[in-house]
Amino acid sequence: MPKTDYLQGALDLLILKTLALGPNHGWGIQQRIRQVSRETLSVSQGSLYPALHRLEAAGVLASEMTSSDNNRRARVYRLTAAGRRRLEAEAADWRQFSLAIRRLLQAEGS
Amino acid sequence: MFASMLTRVRRLLQRRRVAREMDDELRFHVEMETRSNIERGVLPVEAHRLAIRDLGGFDQTKEAIRNVRATWVDSVWQDVRYAVRTLLRRRSVAVAAAGMLALGIGITTAMFTVVDALLLRPVPFREPDQLAFVYMGDEHGGHGAVAPAVLRAWRESAGFAGVEAAVPDTSLIEVDGTVVTQAIARVTPGLFDLLGGVRPIRGRLFDVSEVRAGVDDRVLLSEDVWRGLYQADPAIVGRSISIDGERLLVVGILPADFRFPSWNTVIWRAVDFEAPARSRPNVRPIVCVRFAPNVPRADALRIATDAARAADNTNAELRTIARPLAGVVLDPYYRRAMPLLAGGVVLVFLVLCANVSSLLLARMTTRQREFSMRSALGASRRRLIRQAFVESSVLGVLGVIGGLGIGWALVAFSRAFLPDTILLRTLNPLNIDLRALAVTSVSGSVATLAAGLLPAWLGTSVNMEQSLRVTDRGATETRTARAVMRTLLVGEIALACTLLVGATLLVRSFINLAHAERGLDADGVLMATMSLPASAFPYQSSRTTAARSIEEQIGGLAGVERVAWSYGLPPHAGAVSFGKWESDAPGTPAVDMIVDHYSVGPDFFGLFGVPLLRGRTFQWSDPRTEVVVGERLARALWPGLDPIGRSFSFQEQRFHVIGLAREIHFPSLDAALDRPQFYEPFGGVGNYAMMSVRCGGSCPNVALIRQRIVATYPAIHVEDVRALADVYFEQLAQPRAAAALGFAFAGIAMLAAAGGLFSLLSFAVSRRRREFGIRTALGASPVQIRQVVLRDGLVAALSGVAIGAVAAVLLTRTLASLEYRVAITDPVSWALVFGVLGSTTIAASWRPARQAMRVDPVTLLREE
Repeated sequence: MPKTDYLQGALDLLILKTLALGPNHGWGIQQRIRQVSRETLSVSQGSLYPALHRLEAAGVLASEMTSSDNNRRARVYRLTAAGRRRLEAEAADWRQFSLAIRRLLQAEGS
Repeated sequence: MFASMLTRVRRLLQRRRVAREMDDELRFHVEMETRSNIERGVLPVEAHRLAIRDLGGFDQTKEAIRNVRATWVDSVWQDVRYAVRTLLRRRSVAVAAAGMLALGIGITTAMFTVVDALLLRPVPFREPDQLAFVYMGDEHGGHGAVAPAVLRAWRESAGFAGVEAAVPDTSLIEVDGTVVTQAIARVTPGLFDLLGGVRPIRGRLFDVSEVRAGVDDRVLLSEDVWRGLYQADPAIVGRSISIDGERLLVVGILPADFRFPSWNTVIWRAVDFEAPARSRPNVRPIVCVRFAPNVPRADALRIATDAARAADNTNAELRTIARPLAGVVLDPYYRRAMPLLAGGVVLVFLVLCANVSSLLLARMTTRQREFSMRSALGASRRRLIRQAFVESSVLGVLGVIGGLGIGWALVAFSRAFLPDTILLRTLNPLNIDLRALAVTSVSGSVATLAAGLLPAWLGTSVNMEQSLRVTDRGATETRTARAVMRTLLVGEIALACTLLVGATLLVRSFINLAHAERGLDADGVLMATMSLPASAFPYQSSRTTAARSIEEQIGGLAGVERVAWSYGLPPHAGAVSFGKWESDAPGTPAVDMIVDHYSVGPDFFGLFGVPLLRGRTFQWSDPRTEVVVGERLARALWPGLDPIGRSFSFQEQRFHVIGLAREIHFPSLDAALDRPQFYEPFGGVGNYAMMSVRCGGSCPNVALIRQRIVATYPAIHVEDVRALADVYFEQLAQPRAAAALGFAFAGIAMLAAAGGLFSLLSFAVSRRRREFGIRTALGASPVQIRQVVLRDGLVAALSGVAIGAVAAVLLTRTLASLEYRVAITDPVSWALVFGVLGSTTIAASWRPARQAMRVDPVTLLREE
């Protein structure tokens, strides 16, 4: 499984985008990112959970403890209104950034 | 921002739950991961291990999350817990520091409460600025009281929103067969509404319409009287009690804090001054008004002046004068003494702060190793300072809590044990209120900042290399800390010295005052002042008859030896004559002075124990121009001559001297009260009369004297009955209180400074053990070592004393008004101050010096 290094802003974006699809717990977010990116992107848990708590403290995410299927208590995160705005802003930034990179690469190729 | 802070605080309070949830969250993850691994075909044991490894270690992740979540609230909380642990580890230092802060804050709070009640606070009534006493007068002053007609005119005046009146007086209350005197005021029933905010704790206030209808037997009692005389019996409301021989109905109880129009008024009787007087004619009340809000003050007074002139033609030349309600009852001594005592408290407060500061600094410097270690582990300087400051703040909080307790206890103690005449000469309640609490918290913050910031700053300045050396070799104190601690100590000693000089002067003044020559035998004499209204006693013969039967009544009381009438009462209540006194001695210029003169009978000198030095006393047959003079007047008029047979003139009248009496002195801080005197023969009891009673053994109760007089002649109004000794005592009470307070302040400051010196030297000795060991090894004798330490202490003490003495001399002018026959140059005072300071210094240095002597180089070497 190839692991890709990415900027912290990208991690935030991944989390926000994943949660935009629906509330989820940490493990679920991790699996989801892996599946959607077809195993290209993998978030290490050691950085995922601190990031989740940081985003929650910033008010972008909200969380609550739930009892899951096998009576395990899990923390489920969801986007707040501020989180949605943040997602839009970050996504726009990212698109611009990746467009710029692509242009740069194309210019080199020609 | 605020909301997020709330969230943080809430989280802080829910730390335990948060930690559990974090565990749950991560455990859930591991479980899911394990299950997922198993589903992919990994062995269960292996699957779990993989999951944990994937998580990058359970605890590391938790730590990472905690770091993300940590806010300043968390880290301050961490600092607070650390501070508490550190303080608990060195409990004695913490207790000493918090105790000194508490003492400083406590006495500051208590002193402020007293000063506030006596000097600063406006009277405790609604909109006190709008309230005033008004009377008719001119630039020379005027009578405080007004005629009922003027009162009526003012009531209808547009300049005042309310006009009420009162007559303060003394009354006799009879409870279960015994009589006591209490201050009463006859008041108009609307007075309480005029002042505003007066609520009875039992019963009700007066009913205005009832009083207007002629009911005048309703009284209100103060809570003090209710508790003191009636054991707080709730059934007293609605019952009749006996006041001045009348049965009066108690309608309510007022709170003890309400005092008006005098600071000692405890009974109020509703009367209608405008109604035709029945029992007591010519009562002129003092008038209290509330100004109408929309009329300018000057206009209101002009309207009132016109109204008063129209109502009573004796006011033609006078105008209405308003005297604000605040500061009504204060005598000048307080104005002089209070600011000084408050200043004394501030000095004590500073000494205690400095002491705590140097104590904490000393402790911080012993923690150099800890600070350098933490600094090496990545703590920033700011964090270290904050940490140290949090420690002092915890002490500060303890100090404020303790200080409140001490302040409250001091105020309660003074209320319980100090005579009301000293403490309560104010209309304000004496209690710790919001203002005092504000002072407490401000002084607490100042104390914390003063005591905590400096040590935090200096104590945490870690020079890695140097501190390593310090910890390795245990050599000396750091230079800055040493200098700062020395400076603080010198400052403490200087302040203590200043306070001690001031206190010594106050105490010496008090002693001089108490032992001053009085010139008469003050013990066992009672004096009564009374008025015999002309309506009831129109002729000299009726007054003489009354005087004789009163004399018999009083003379029959147990313990009374003799009774005499006079006009004027020693030691300072004679008729005052001021002007030019001309001696008949040739070449002597006229003397301009104020002289007391007394009209006395033949018994007077014997009764007061005033010996006649030359000549003779009066006989009943002597004409009024034959006089006895006191020594001072004689010295002034006939210096070096025998006054007997000589004469002097005063205001066109010539007096012949038949005797010379010993001078009566009235020692007081107010020198104007102690005047020379002369005596003329008594011409008989007038409308205003004074009676003196000499008793052998024990004197009868003053209330009993009053009761006997009133019982014999109800028409006589007894103004005052008091013991001669009390007149002297009153002059002593305030200087005694001031001296005691000053002494207490100086004592606290001295103890604090001595403690500071002791701890500083002990600390220095403990840091310099190695040095002393080397000195001993090089041949220094123990005595020489002791000398080093003692010299260290003496140098600090001497510098402090020098500064303090200079400050005391500079400040002496402010103290001069409280001094009696003692000056800043008084050698005894200075000898005392130096003696006390010197012995305190030696006492405080002795133990550290002995410890230094006992340093054994061999043990020292082994320790290393």
